[in-house]
Amino acid sequence: MTQLIWDGLFVGSFYALIALGYSMVYGIIKLLNFAHGDIYMLGAFIGFALLTSMGGIPASLSLGALLVVLLVSMLLTGTAGVIIERLAYRPLRGAPRLAVLITAVGVSFSLEYGIAAIAGPNPRAYPIRLEGGVFEVLGARVSLPQIILMLIAAGLMIALNGYIQRTSTGRAMRSISLDANASLLMGINVNAVITRTFFIGSALAGAAGVMAGAYYGKIDFLMGFIIGLKAFTAAVIGGIGNIKGAMLGGLVLGFVEAFGTEWFGGQWRDVFAFAVLIIFLTLRPTGILGERVTERM
Amino acid sequence: MSDNVDTTQAPRKIGPPRTRISRLLESRQLGWIALAVALLAPFVTATPYALNVMTTAAIFVMLASGLNIVVGYCGLLDLGYIAFMAVGAYTAGIVSRSFELPLIFTIPVVLVMTVLAGLIIGVPTLRLRSDYLAIVTLGFGEITRITANNLTITGGPSGIFGIPGLLKIGDFDVQEPAVLYYVTALVVAVFVLASARLGKSRLGRAWRFVREDEDAAEAMGIHTYRVKLLAYIFGAVWGGLGGVLFAAHLSAVSPRSFIFLQSALVLMAVVMGGMGNMRGVVIGALVISLAPELLREMAAHRYLAFGLLLVVVMVFRPQGFWPARGYERDLATVDADDAAVARGERR
Amino acid sequence: MRLRTRNMILLSVASAVVFTTAGCGGGLLSSEDSGASGASGPVKLGMVVPISGSSAPTGAYMKNGAQLAVDEINKAGGVLKGRKLELIVEDEACDAQQAVASANKVVTAGVVVSVGGYCSGATLPTLPIFQKANLPMIIPAANSQELVTQGLANVFMINGTGKQQSTTALAFMKKAGYTTVALVDDNTSYSKDITTETASQIQKDGSVKVLLKTSVTPGESDYSAVVRNIMAKKPALVYWTGYYQEGGLIINQLKKAGFSGKTMVADGSVDPSLTKIAGAGAEGVFATMTQTPDTLKGAEKWIANYKAKFKADPGPFSTQSYDAVRLAAKAIEDAGTTEGGDITKALEAIDGFPMFSGPLKFTPEHTLSSGGFVILVTKHGKFTLDNTLS
Repeated sequence: MTQLIWDGLFVGSFYALIALGYSMVYGIIKLLNFAHGDIYMLGAFIGFALLTSMGGIPASLSLGALLVVLLVSMLLTGTAGVIIERLAYRPLRGAPRLAVLITAVGVSFSLEYGIAAIAGPNPRAYPIRLEGGVFEVLGARVSLPQIILMLIAAGLMIALNGYIQRTSTGRAMRSISLDANASLLMGINVNAVITRTFFIGSALAGAAGVMAGAYYGKIDFLMGFIIGLKAFTAAVIGGIGNIKGAMLGGLVLGFVEAFGTEWFGGQWRDVFAFAVLIIFLTLRPTGILGERVTERM
Repeated sequence: MSDNVDTTQAPRKIGPPRTRISRLLESRQLGWIALAVALLAPFVTATPYALNVMTTAAIFVMLASGLNIVVGYCGLLDLGYIAFMAVGAYTAGIVSRSFELPLIFTIPVVLVMTVLAGLIIGVPTLRLRSDYLAIVTLGFGEITRITANNLTITGGPSGIFGIPGLLKIGDFDVQEPAVLYYVTALVVAVFVLASARLGKSRLGRAWRFVREDEDAAEAMGIHTYRVKLLAYIFGAVWGGLGGVLFAAHLSAVSPRSFIFLQSALVLMAVVMGGMGNMRGVVIGALVISLAPELLREMAAHRYLAFGLLLVVVMVFRPQGFWPARGYERDLATVDADDAAVARGERR
Repeated sequence: MRLRTRNMILLSVASAVVFTTAGCGGGLLSSEDSGASGASGPVKLGMVVPISGSSAPTGAYMKNGAQLAVDEINKAGGVLKGRKLELIVEDEACDAQQAVASANKVVTAGVVVSVGGYCSGATLPTLPIFQKANLPMIIPAANSQELVTQGLANVFMINGTGKQQSTTALAFMKKAGYTTVALVDDNTSYSKDITTETASQIQKDGSVKVLLKTSVTPGESDYSAVVRNIMAKKPALVYWTGYYQEGGLIINQLKKAGFSGKTMVADGSVDPSLTKIAGAGAEGVFATMTQTPDTLKGAEKWIANYKAKFKADPGPFSTQSYDAVRLAAKAIEDAGTTEGGDITKALEAIDGFPMFSGPLKFTPEHTLSSGGFVILVTKHGKFTLDNTLS
């Protein structure tokens, strides 16, 4: 039982990291970036490329090398997110919602099959793997890599929360999500803030990608698709547009999935996750902590 | 505030067609010409391969016309449209295999099941904002596929095969490739025509109104919820019947044929062809289903090309390659037009 | 109305053109026989294998193996008094619709025998197409039981069937003493075939117990649910019948969870990448597999030929594809004609034709009489032959 809880929390932290990016972008420009899961995949592949180009690394330095690669990948993925925003989403700022959504689908496909074209359609194994000490805690088998990764994820999320609450850019983000026009009138450089939002959101997803690669060991060009949907579910569960909600939603979803697969079996995992999404949207669309998503009827 | 349209920019005025080509393309005769081409094509080449490809393309056109009702007319972004085709194909397959019936007799059951599917998927989702609608419909698409993969009645991962043909009377077997192609082409033509007619009807106008500005439509007395649900149901029926043709064409139905990629391809056909414009959608569907066959060497990169194309089209020409021309006069640039009408210079 | 008249004229002209050309070419009214390649010219073999998609590498192994055989036979004089063999390869992409289109394409191109077929789910819908065209199918890789349950006369499988693989698995379990097992599949047709068959054979046999039979969703990274399940049930052996992507992950996560038992994989997971992904758990993993070139005795020369010609190592199903072409050539020679029905009869009559999997004789079901499955085990990241069953 405790094993189940721990496993759920661990997977949940990945969902939470990615859901954060979703929520941030949605909060600020009301766009569900369908391609966000593929940014996660992009991060994993950038990390892979960096690690393979670094050649042989002695095992003792592997954790350090991984951290360096993590930071660099975050930077590069963040930049990629900014480029995508500039090329695909900014030109459509005033366009009907439908058009932007479709563009996001197009970006998603381009990322997926672009990586497939560059790195080949086959899955790749990460050159550096996190293996480590294991110990028993309350009946659950907990490993050091898991703890390290969860600490990194938690650290990133706390840093993000601090950034949003305490810096001026964070204040600007919150203000734009409340009322974009008023913010513009108050002299906020909306474009710059949006760019920064995309950067941070994509960097977080990229971090999750590298960590997933290092822990699980396998990356492939379609890994972002289903993770993106799960992250969206997590964001909805927590209340979309709400940072703390995204974190909470991720953990809750991780839990719920763990229990669901335990009862129904592994082949129903995704059905279960989607069912949870649909139930939440029908019965409690505000999510646990968030804003309304239904139309005014 | 309406979130569908940016009212700070004046809409582009799209007038009557001006060039000869435009007039030809907009004329009523185009439909007959296209039908004639479709019917005469087998006389040029009737190899099994060509007939197979043409039948597949015709079925894809049917799907695109169905999705056009949902996305193009009514503006509901459905990313799981292939689920309706799955429901139709599986229902037809299961019923015809279990009762040893030719597929044509399964159509009543298929209609019932697809309408049900349309209701099940539509009722909870149609209250949602468009972004959420998109992802939830995707979720439904995946749920349908995974359920079909897991249940025994749907044949599990192997699916259903050995499906009997559409109809066989004595020696006349509709499953003969050429006959099947003609039947498919005619059925698809009928349904494309029907969906175009739907677009011009009062319901079609209501759909377009809802797409443009849902709040205003509601204020004008349109039951937007009902109207959206109807769009879904029509889309479901089109998809389901496309599924029956699919089952007849392949004689086997398996979950792998209903992955998200397929929904995305139908969406691409509708988007690139020009949402709401049935003719454009038909052409978009033909391009998307035939291009991979004609460009087989580029098979590995076709989805990359589609993805990039989608982004490019949306950024530079969001109304699609062949935009829908309004059937009513554009009332947004009111003053000049009204004045002209008052002066008697224009109808 | 001028527009209407103009359109009508255009239409009439177009129809006239079409009808006059209808007599030529492959149109409905033409009398040309679009099928057979006639009595001279190359003898064409059709191969529908994955060229794109995630199975593309295996498609390359199969295509090259077949091409090797084609070139060897042509060098030795071809078939039917000097006619050259020609291999026509089309993409199945592991998708039913594309496989059907490709099958139609090779039929239209006038092939005489089909020597392709990797994904069972994609090969199944092509069966009626080849049957209608009266073309024999020699299937080198796809081995779902469903392929033969329909009892089509023109279908021959030269890869061990799911049933035969299960038999080998059970024999290994008994011989090596694994009395409790867990069966895990990835919920796809080929994989589920094997677990279901293994479970039923185990039940009939009675000396092994199945503690767990479950499925996972492919394409994910986290398999903690099935790992927890396995750890709770504590079987001595886990038999994974899906592909290497998920297999590697499960083995790795089992090792991380401290699983003390052993793992065995089915032939879909036999790929060098399995050990890479499995990481720490990669050593000592068993596999049921048909012979690959590097585990066959005496295949060194063949491997060298392959490498010299294609500048790459052979892989799974290279030898089966090679044998498929050789078998097709032999059957054509025996039949003395390119008529499908005669070639089918010749295939049925073959007795003792030497292939990599052993001397060939088809069962009445058109499968191999001996599955040719062996047990492999991973040593230092590579699959090597294990001697438990020999």
